[in-house]
Amino acid sequence: MTSHADQVSVRSAVLPLRPAAGAWLIARKETGELLLSRRGLAWLLVVAVVLSAFALLLVSDTELGLLDNAQVVYDMVGIVIGVGALIGVVAGVDAVGGERERGSLVPLLLVPLPRGALLAGKLGGIAAAWAMTLVVALPYLWAVGSTGQNLGHAVAALIVLGTPVVLGFGAFALGLGARLRSVPAALNAALVVLLLSASPLVIGPGLRRTTIGAAFDAVNPFSAALNAVDAVVIDGERLAAHALAFCAVAVWALAAGWFAWAGMRRLAR
Amino acid sequence: MTIRANTRPGGDPLLELRSVAAAIGGAEILRDVSLRLGRGEILGLLGPNGAGKTTTLSVALGLTAPSRGSARVFGGDPFVDGAAVRARLGALPEGGGFYGWMTAPAYLGFFARLHGLARAPDELAERLVQVGLKPSAGQRIETFSHGMRQRLGLARALLADPLLILLDEPTNGLDPRGRREVHDLLKRLARDGAGILLCTHLLDDVERLCDRISIMVAGVTVRDAALRDLGGGPPADAPRGGRFRLFLSAAGEGRPLPSGVSLVAQEREACVVEIAGSEMPEAAWVEMMFLGWRVREIHRIEDGSSPLERLYLSLTDADPARSAA
Amino acid sequence: MRVAALLIFTVLLLAMQAAAQASPLIVELMPASANPAHPRMGDRLMFRSTIRNPGADQAPGVIAWLSLVQVDPGNEKPVDLEDWSAQKALTLPALAPGQTVTTEWPIRLIQAGHYRVAVIATAAGIAEVGAPVASRFAGFAVAAKPVVESGRVLPIAIGVPLLLAAGLLWRVRGGRVR
Repeated sequence: MTSHADQVSVRSAVLPLRPAAGAWLIARKETGELLLSRRGLAWLLVVAVVLSAFALLLVSDTELGLLDNAQVVYDMVGIVIGVGALIGVVAGVDAVGGERERGSLVPLLLVPLPRGALLAGKLGGIAAAWAMTLVVALPYLWAVGSTGQNLGHAVAALIVLGTPVVLGFGAFALGLGARLRSVPAALNAALVVLLLSASPLVIGPGLRRTTIGAAFDAVNPFSAALNAVDAVVIDGERLAAHALAFCAVAVWALAAGWFAWAGMRRLAR
Repeated sequence: MTIRANTRPGGDPLLELRSVAAAIGGAEILRDVSLRLGRGEILGLLGPNGAGKTTTLSVALGLTAPSRGSARVFGGDPFVDGAAVRARLGALPEGGGFYGWMTAPAYLGFFARLHGLARAPDELAERLVQVGLKPSAGQRIETFSHGMRQRLGLARALLADPLLILLDEPTNGLDPRGRREVHDLLKRLARDGAGILLCTHLLDDVERLCDRISIMVAGVTVRDAALRDLGGGPPADAPRGGRFRLFLSAAGEGRPLPSGVSLVAQEREACVVEIAGSEMPEAAWVEMMFLGWRVREIHRIEDGSSPLERLYLSLTDADPARSAA
Repeated sequence: MRVAALLIFTVLLLAMQAAAQASPLIVELMPASANPAHPRMGDRLMFRSTIRNPGADQAPGVIAWLSLVQVDPGNEKPVDLEDWSAQKALTLPALAPGQTVTTEWPIRLIQAGHYRVAVIATAAGIAEVGAPVASRFAGFAVAAKPVVESGRVLPIAIGVPLLLAAGLLWRVRGGRVR
């Protein structure tokens, strides 16, 4: 490098790495951490144990009807989305808040990449965690649903609708981890929102038909996703007929992404 | 291989803070900080705990925006032009963490790629050797000692052959040989034209390395001077009792130290401690034995007081916050 | 004279009452010939019904509906057709004298068991109550199909966690990474 280069204005300097390439590198690192760390493997083991317990309960019931099988597939899809969202929350809080507590965030903030690239890389890591959850869950879905109805459509609905739900919760948790100084506080806040979102599904359809219940359903990503899965798996409707549900979960994911972006921009040390 | 900062001496300052104020979490940490660092210079940033040294580094790195004043790095705003500025500097923050599941070469390779650098494995290994780090093949960072991690952090900071290097306690946790190696490395980098901001509590490091010092107290720069201009002789209000250094054959890692005694360096069965305000420095080793240290021999006693130290103590003793601590 | 008038009045009244009553319909139900001989859960059966108006008068407001009942001993109960059949009822504005309407009733077999299915029709319209007419029952048995096969589930439910646990153990014991 010549002395002339020293005079180059900072503003006109070209970044040494394209932001997209930087985001990819960070996503790869996050994925490696998930797959190769004890914590990541332990989480995948938890997913497998939950699904195994559910599947083994089903095996013991020899009087399942055909419709019950569809209900089983629907329930398992719901469990996978729920567990995926939980992993998304944990991974999201850890992506920034956890790294900050471990002291490894500042070196990452010091690389010559825009904050948007860092965010994209972190979200890529959460997407990898969701992909791994799907990989673990697919054999279970095949095992319980291959002799029933609409398994292929169920898997398609899980991917199309579950992905924005999970990534949305991951982004939301990442935003909380960036804003709150305490990882436990961020995790608690994210889990409360997750449980509130999932609560109507536990309450049942009766209360959800009330005005407040219907309004909550309209903005709740879980409700939108699982109502569409219900229609596809149990009622045999086409997934394409539920574009509105996809729009609802997509809006949720975008809003959560904006929340994460705003948090990353404000991130100091 | 020589780590070279490709620039020429002189010219515009690499780093300049003018009357910078900054707040974190609503608390004003910096009130009026000014400093200037040019090419080929090593500037020591000193101050008591809570003076705002780390926040000053944070402003220089573009991680914290100043509420008043101006911060310029390579002529640009580090907060606005963050990525472009960070492409040309290297930093070692204090207490940084690492990805424990990675090996040291993998860790360096990851950050090299993030800087857009294609570093071959043998080049990465050479970078590690340069900072005195020779891990076993496949050894994960989570098994590293504190000193090894410090060396790895330094290697990461120097990956892109930066023009400007910001270091927060770089010799923290290093053995005496390691400290000497780091000193030699930093001197070499400065000779090659890099500007180095050294934030440290170790006055010995400052005296050995720095061309100039900047002393902060309670978020305010109180003194900025060339080291050679400090002169000799104690001021009239120098603390009584002096300061001494004991060079001991002693082992007791993890054992507490007597009041007024601080550990400067330790390597296996040898250590150097500093005693402040004591008329009888020899008494310190007796107290250390009572606290569980295995002290076999005192090699020598040195008068630890230096012009820099006297200046530092005089300025920081005037800090009400420190008196109240 | 007065007795004759009374007789005529009574005959007219009876005639009017008879006219006001619904004309009796004839309903028949038959399984399609293409139905499987030994249907299983998930199969689809087709039944065809004919509704004929044998009377001389028009039968207004015909309603016909499918009725399914499970007859397994100890488990006898009517079956909700919600998931069994999309076609649950048929309405006709009127059935002309001598007219016959043929209707197909597809049924998807959801649950194993023994069943009877019939079509019931009434021609009085919804404004009045007429005597419903039922077809003869068509019976069928649905064989169970293992919807959750233990041969598929057990290897997955046991194997996947074991595989992940092995990976975790390898990492805990210091498995090397690049």
